[in-house]
Parts: sequence; C-alpha cells; structure tokens
Amino acid sequence: MEKVLSALLLLITTGVFGQTQIKFDRFTLDNGLKVILHEDHTTPNVVISVLYHVGSKNEKPDRTGFAHFFEHLMFEGSENIARGEYDKYVSRAGGALNAYTSQDRTYYYEFLPSNYLELGLWLESERMKHASVDSKGIETQRAVVKEERKQRMDNQPYGTLMEQVFVRLFNNHPYKWMPIGSMEHLDAASDEDYKQFYKDFYLPDNAVLTIAGDIDRNAARQLVEKYFATIPKSTKPIYRPTIKEEPLNGPKRDTVYDRVQLPALIIGHRTPAQGSTDYYAMEMLNTLLSNGNSSRIYRSLVDEKQLAIQAGSFQFPLEDPGLGISYGIANMGVELTDIEKAIIEQIEKVQNEPISDMELKKLQNQIENQFVSQLSSVEGIAENLAVYETHFGDASLINTEINRYLSVTKEDIQRVANLYFNEKNRLVLFWLPKAK
Amino acid sequence: MQKHKFSILLLWIIFSFLKVNAQEEFRKTAPTAGPAPKIEIGNYTLSKLSNGLQIIVVENHKLPRVSFQLFVDVPLHLENDKAGVASIAGSLLSAGTKSKTKAQIDESVDFIGASLNTSGNGITASSLSKHTDVVLDLMSDILFNANFPKEEFDKLVKQTLSGLASQKDDPGAISSEISGRLRYGNKHPYGETTTEKSIQNITITDCIKYKDDFFKPGNSYLIVVGDITNEEAISKAEKFFGAWKKGSVKKQKFPDPLPPAGNQVFVYDKNDAVQTVLSLTYPLNLEPGATDITAVSVMNQIFGGGSSSRLFKNIREDKGYTYGAYSSVSPNEHIGYFTAGANVRNVVTDSALTEFLAEMKAIREVNVTSEELNAAKAELSGRFGRSLEQPATIASFALNIVRYKLPADYYNTYLQRLSAVDANAVKAMALKYIHPDKVYISAVGKGSEISAKLARFDTENKVRLVDNYGNQLIPKLKMETTSEVKMEPSAIIEKYLKAIGGKEILSSVKDVTIEMSATIQGMQLSMKNVQKDNLKLISSVSMNNMTLSEQIFDGIKGKITAMGQPEKLVEGEEASELMDEASIFPELFYQEKGVKLELAANEAVNGVDCYKVLITDAKGKVKSDFFAVDSGLKMRTTVIEKSGEQEVTLVREFGDYKPVSNILFPHKLIIKGAMPVPLDAIVKSINVNSQVSDDLFKIGK
Repeated sequence: MEKVLSALLLLITTGVFGQTQIKFDRFTLDNGLKVILHEDHTTPNVVISVLYHVGSKNEKPDRTGFAHFFEHLMFEGSENIARGEYDKYVSRAGGALNAYTSQDRTYYYEFLPSNYLELGLWLESERMKHASVDSKGIETQRAVVKEERKQRMDNQPYGTLMEQVFVRLFNNHPYKWMPIGSMEHLDAASDEDYKQFYKDFYLPDNAVLTIAGDIDRNAARQLVEKYFATIPKSTKPIYRPTIKEEPLNGPKRDTVYDRVQLPALIIGHRTPAQGSTDYYAMEMLNTLLSNGNSSRIYRSLVDEKQLAIQAGSFQFPLEDPGLGISYGIANMGVELTDIEKAIIEQIEKVQNEPISDMELKKLQNQIENQFVSQLSSVEGIAENLAVYETHFGDASLINTEINRYLSVTKEDIQRVANLYFNEKNRLVLFWLPKAK
Repeated sequence: MQKHKFSILLLWIIFSFLKVNAQEEFRKTAPTAGPAPKIEIGNYTLSKLSNGLQIIVVENHKLPRVSFQLFVDVPLHLENDKAGVASIAGSLLSAGTKSKTKAQIDESVDFIGASLNTSGNGITASSLSKHTDVVLDLMSDILFNANFPKEEFDKLVKQTLSGLASQKDDPGAISSEISGRLRYGNKHPYGETTTEKSIQNITITDCIKYKDDFFKPGNSYLIVVGDITNEEAISKAEKFFGAWKKGSVKKQKFPDPLPPAGNQVFVYDKNDAVQTVLSLTYPLNLEPGATDITAVSVMNQIFGGGSSSRLFKNIREDKGYTYGAYSSVSPNEHIGYFTAGANVRNVVTDSALTEFLAEMKAIREVNVTSEELNAAKAELSGRFGRSLEQPATIASFALNIVRYKLPADYYNTYLQRLSAVDANAVKAMALKYIHPDKVYISAVGKGSEISAKLARFDTENKVRLVDNYGNQLIPKLKMETTSEVKMEPSAIIEKYLKAIGGKEILSSVKDVTIEMSATIQGMQLSMKNVQKDNLKLISSVSMNNMTLSEQIFDGIKGKITAMGQPEKLVEGEEASELMDEASIFPELFYQEKGVKLELAANEAVNGVDCYKVLITDAKGKVKSDFFAVDSGLKMRTTVIEKSGEQEVTLVREFGDYKPVSNILFPHKLIIKGAMPVPLDAIVKSINVNSQVSDDLFKIGK
C-alpha cells in the first residue's frame, strides 16, 4: 500500500515537472572539448561558460590555492588580449562576467547580448589557448588574493569555519585545504610553477563549454569549431587524486577561538560523494533537519528551546566523499554543551524512529520547488548543465536528477542517519570568543 | 623514397605553419558583433480593488510557479527610543493568528515547499502555482488575524538582542551602521539605529499599533508574478484581500540631512581587525525619475560601478590594495546618498583614501574619454537587457511607475535616454553630485595602526572616535563655528585663573575634596578626588562601596591599587606624575615649573568657540587645553596616553561651572577615550579647605 502511494506521489510530481524539460545539444570536439548548447529566446542574451575540471583538490600539498589563483590570473589577458583589457571587451559589449573556484572545479562565464556570441567564444578560447601568465599579473593578484582572504575569512566572524572543519576531518585528502589556499604557498611559488599549472589543467579535454540563450545552434556550433578546434589537447594524463581517507576514529573534539560575540557549536561528519545513492538520502535528511521553519533542528533549537539564533545542517556537494556540518550559533547566555545535546537529540531521533509519511511528502515538495526554481535563469541553467556533465557525466540529469531524490525512502533516511551521523565519524568543534 | 618522405614532411610543416598563421590572423583582433538585437519589455497589468488596494500582475508561464508580494508603503516616521519596532512587528506577523500557532503556520508553508516572509513592509510568499490558494489563504489569515502572541514576542526580542551582539563582530555591519548615522544624523528616520536599549523599550502594544497605523489597503500593493492569469489574480485578490478595511495613514515631512561642511574622519577602533573597512559617504538629493538619474548612473559606472571602473582599476588592479573598490549614487524619494568604499589592508588605509579622493577630483575635472563613456553606456544597457529575463523586474518597474508617478513609458524610453548621455552631461553630473571636500569618511579597523595617518584628511586635522552605533558621532546640525580671535597663550591662562576666582583666592586653597558619580552600563560608579597642599593626592573609584581602584600619593611616594591586581608602590620618576596630579590649580605654577605654552588654531567645543593651547611640561609631555573665548573657562583637555603599545587619546570635557567657596568649579565632567563609551560624571559635592587630615594620605607598611 505504502509503495503504491509513494509511486503515485512520484507520478504526480514528475508529471508537473515534465512540463519544464530543458532541451540541449551535446557534442565533443576532436581535442576532447565537450560542448553543450541550449536554446532559449526569452531575452536576446547569451551565456558562454567554461567549466575547467580543476579545483583545489588537484593541487600539490605545498602549492595550495593555485586553482583559485588562476581564477584571478585568467582575467589578466592572453597573447592577443592586453593586460586589463579582458573585462573591458565584455563591458564594452554590455556584458557581465565572473568566475568561481571550488574544491572540484573552476567556472568562468560571460553573459552577453546575443550578437556578441562570437566575442565570448574568442575570449574563452584565448584563455584556453594561451593565457598570459606573467610576473606583473602574478604580483598584483597575489596582493588582491590576500585581501580577498582577509575580507572573506580572517576579518569575518566565523569566516574560517569551513577551513577549520575540513582541516580536522581530512588528514590526507586534498579537501583538507580550502580553495583560497595558503598565502605562504602563493608567495613561495615561482612564475614557472604557475605556468606549469596552466599547462597541466587548462586544456580542452579537461573542460566543458556551455552556451545557453538566444542562439542559433548550427551557427553556434560552427563558431565553436572555429575558435576551439585547434587548441591542442593534453599530452599526459590529467592529475586526479585517488587518495582515500582512513576511518576517522572519532569522536574528535576541539576548540577554536575567534573574534565573535556569540559562541557556536559545530558538528562535522564525513559524508558520501555527490551523485551516490546515499548522497540523495543525506540531502533529504538535511532537508528534514534544517529546511524551513518547521524543520527539526530549527524548530527545536531556535524556536522551542531558544538555544540558538541560527541553527541548521547541510552537506557540501563534492566529487569525492566530503563532509557535512550541523551547527548552532548560541543565543546570549546559552552553553554550547546544551546546543550539542539538542542537536544530537535530533540526530538520534531520526536514527531511532522512521519519519512520517507526511514528513516525507513535505521533503519531496520542498525538493520539487527547489528544482523548478533553479531553472529560472539561463545563467543557472548553463551552470547546471556544465556541472552535471562534468561531475555526473551526464548533462541530462538537469531533467531527471529529481527522480533520484524522490526515490529516497523513509528507510533510506533512517539508514544514512545511522551510517554517517555516527559518533565514530564525528567532529565536535566549540567556537568561542577570543579574549580581547 | 627518402626524398618523397622528406617532401611530405616539409609540406606538412608548411601546411601547419600556414594553419597556425591563419589562426593567428583571426585571433589577433576581437570579432565584430552582429546587428544589435531588439530589447523588448514584458507587459504588466494594473488594477485596483474597491478598498484601494492596487494590483500589479506580470504573467509568465515559463515555469509553474508564482509569487505574491503584499507591499505596504509605510510612510517615513521616527521610531525614537523604540527604534526597531517595525522589524519586530513585521516578524511577529507570521508568529501566530487567531486560528494557527507559529508552528502550524511554519508547517503549512513548508509542507507545500513554499516560502513566506513577513516584515514591517508587508508579506511575501512564493510557491509552485498548484499551491496558489494555500499560499493566499495563509497571507490573508496573517493580514487579518495576526494575534501577536506574548511568547513569540519575547522570543523575537531575545533573538534580536543576540543578533545585535553578533553584529558587533562584523566590520561590514558596523561600517554601514556608522555610515548611515553619519549621512542622516539622528533627527531623520533613516539615521535611527536599533540598539539593545531601544529593543528593550518595545512592547506588544507598540507592535499592534504599528500594524494598525500603517497597514491599510490605500497605501498597499499586491504584486503578482508568474504562472497565473491577470483575471485569476484579480479575482483571487478580491477573494483574499477584498475585506481589508480602508483607512488613512499619516504622512510626515523631515528636513533633508545635509552633507558636512568639510571632510570629517571617523574611526571605529576594532583592535583585532586585520583589514580596514573604508567608507566615504554623504547625503544628496536625487529622486527616482529625476532628469539627472540616467546621466548620474553613467557617471557612477565610469567612476566606481564595476570591475571596469576607475576605482576598481586603480585601487585593485593597479595598486593591489583591495579585493574590490566600488561606488554608488543611490536615488531615494526622501533623501539619496553617495557612497564609495573598499576593504583594504591596514597599512595602506591612508594611501587607499588618497586614491579615492583623487579619483573623486579627477572625475570632476577631466572629461571622460569616449571609450569610457561608450563602455559605461553599453554596460548599463546590457544590465537592463539581462534584468528583463526575470518577470519580477517588470513588476518592480510597474511599482516604481505607480509609486513615484513616473510616465507610463518611463522604462520603454530608458535606452533612448541612456544613448543620449554625452561626456558633457557626465561632467555636469560629477560636478553636481561628487564632492571630494564634503565627505563623511569612516574607517572600521585597527585604530592604533590607522588613526594617526587619517587625521590629515579631516578639515580639523583629527580623527573622531566613534562606537558601533555611532552614538556620539551624531553630526552637529549646524557646523561648529570658530573665530580667528588671537590672544597670547599666557594671557589666556591669566584670563582663566581670573574667571574661576582670581589668583589670590586660588592660592589660598589648601585642600579640595570632590565627590562624583557616574553611570556605566547600568552600574553606579562613585569617584572621589582629594588634593592637599598641591602635594598630596587620593583618587579612587568605587562601585557599591567596593573600591575598584585607588591612587594615593603622600608627597614622596605613592601606592596604586586596582581590583584584581597586586598593589604597586611607586617612587621617583613614576611618582612625580602623581605629584603633578596633586596640583589643585596647576595653571598657577606654569611659570615657575617652566611649562611651555603655544597657541593653536581656535576650535569649537560643543559649539563654544575656544582657544586651543598646547601645554608642554618640563618632561616634554604635551596636553591641549581649550578655553572659551568669551568666558575664559576651560572646556576641554586632551592628552595622548600610552597604554602598552597603543596610544589612547583621553578627552575630558568640563561643563556646568558653579561657584563653591567663591571659586567656579565644573560640576559636569565627560571622559572619553578611556572606555568604548563616554563616561558622564556629575559632581555630588565639593569641599574647599575642610582641613583634610594628613593621616588620610598615609601609605601603610
């Protein structure tokens, strides 16, 4: 009976969702560059993006921060684009551009009026083919990145939280350092080191080019060939770490002192890799714990017990097994041990009792809403297509990944709660105000 | 065979060379663009219910979702000592209705995967379109039946207080709080700051009154965007909000805050900061829809609008001082503002400020190039074009047209207006809106590393220390005036001595005992000062009869006790400082002690024109005393003290002079710089020549 019901729910949900299929073309050039084209004429604009399959995970332990550093360097110019001109081409065309770096990828994009499609392709192909990696650019960006680190992390309350958790949950895997990396490593690196990193990773067969928006697919395909087909592919295998962590043998406990007024309790657990069956069950579990005011951790800690002004639980979507964080920022005068107890209580409740049918339906509705919302802009669609193609090997998951969430059962949620939210797999971090 | 092979190889080399060469050719220059596409603006529909509620609908059926915003256009008003009431009342709206608890509301919202938020400006919600009725039902229940439960109110107050506490760590939040206060002053609603105290003053009745006063259909809009037809939206609006009763809302006018007469530098000392949040700001008049708006936006785009702007290119890309430097000119129907800023490393705070001010001058003085002009116009038109992808943009255009009474085709003609902006217009806008000599400059950072270097940017050559709420950084409504009256410094001292009683009477004073009280963070402090024979001293601070600190000097040696620290005996050099403090009227002895006097430029103290005298004692220690030009009385003393590695500027201000035994003593004392908040002390009693016993000054052991 229950099976029939959930199958029925599934039908209803996918039925609605079916109306908003994202259509796209996909092909691979001879040099290995994967290309995805998505046509959408809502407005006369186009997104051109390149996702390089290189993140901080691909760095050497004594040269961290390189992938992110390149995110900065890649705006410095190329053989045919003078220093300081890269973004001017885009602004003169009335476009916008940006980039970001994570543990697993670096993503660059231009958002241009559609008559500038060729300009966008030229710009991206220039930096793939022969970006400028020179000392002037390196010197300036070293200073800029140091200020970025201060602005985002060191001068920000709780700004080093991710760093402090990752470094304690990983001993060998490169996830133990953050994409921003070590400022000492950036200082110590020679121009040659940077040049080599560029040669190793910024290659057509390590990238996905996505074009989404007001395009003619045939014309776009010809332009892609013109600008990208002659860029040489890799000459040796691209470095992808295969490092596996030993079991954590937790619980580990530690304390961090920071410039904060309100202490925070941070619980970290190792979690499964994105795309795995358990990953989806964990996503549903975190949704149960912290999505919306009726979610279990929020309701218990913030609303009922008033222990925290903010509390929640989430996992990082990472290519290799990663980690999740459950946390509470203390209300004034609250002891962190009480917050710890209250979070563990909620974890144990899921471990011991199956969630109700109503709750499962709620989680599915929430996920459905998120899925529809992420398709609301061509920028979002372009990024999702590139991410699915790179990390999941299939861009069409943009239309079907929701089924993986909807097939998670109550039993799955209870099972992963026991498997991953387990003491042996746990770090408890007390985040305390630094004495002034 | 060999030869053949060779020629193939040669051919191949030539071929690939040609190929490379050909490639180089088309790569060398940027490809040209095709014809510009036509930008089309989506439609909206405007209608009104009989109770006055205006309805804006933007249909968009691309995705099966819909959003509703019930926007209440609350008029400008002061919250006074209850700052924060709008925010508490707004959050409280969704914390319970006559038929639903907060938990039930939360559950209903989450169950359909929707989102719903309430604020002082109304209610917003969004969901998949299949849940439209559930969402509207919740919104209308909240609007009509919110019941402001006590328990939820207490919770919100507690959370807000914790939130305020956590803001004190966030340099960005502190900076924007301070900038707001500087721009608008404390007499304008925009300058009001929510503090722990103001939150604690708020009651449930205030929250109910807030909603009753301002939530009326006549000043509200229902904005509907997404997968719904206009007819459906109107009939649902009637069904769910038609019963909302009409009512009038009071409107008030406030005088426009003015920019400072000269540059003023404010520093919030965050001694653990590893970066300075630098901000330049001032208020300006620029209403939505004003003729200048388009040209101003082009000017700002060139100046600091993005990563191609002058600020970014200079301060980040050329100097590497920051991760980002930006500016904006923000229009507002009441009072707009200019702001520019960056997070920079401590040591280059002054250099970065120099660049900001230089760029402000440059944009006024030098014509922008046609390349800059064209790029800025292209960026703005591109941004406009991209924004049209979201149907919510069309809704916000519609709202602006109605709220600010703009022409119906205001946004349809935007690109024409933009293309008409030329270099002369940009310069005119810079001259009108960019004022490098009338700026509130604030720096949130490590005071000991930045303050001294920033003083030169202030017209009075000083930095003004402020707290995180900007409590004492309220800009004076009128500028303090100073005269250029000059006087010999020794004559100023003579005038002062004469004013408070005359040398003869003052010289006859053997001992003085002064008792004062002060309140700090709700605690009562008592302070006592006894001086005898210009030689002996007791100075103590206590709370609830418990001594917190005490200094005793018996004429030769001294003893310093402070709570929680071992008592310390002082002799010789260190003791001589205590001896200086034992001097009842030190000005009597300036000549014989070889004190040097020097007159600085006049300054105003709390609006009173003063002579500023730099006083250097025989040991080289400098203080500045401020004497009122008219009365001759001492108004302020400033001295820089070293506390460990840090320099602290200690300021004492004197007021409420009243006679005791024919001598004028100040009865009010404000001490600034010793603590994050100024200490206001009131004199309880003064006794002159009460024959204080020498035993009092005995140091035990």
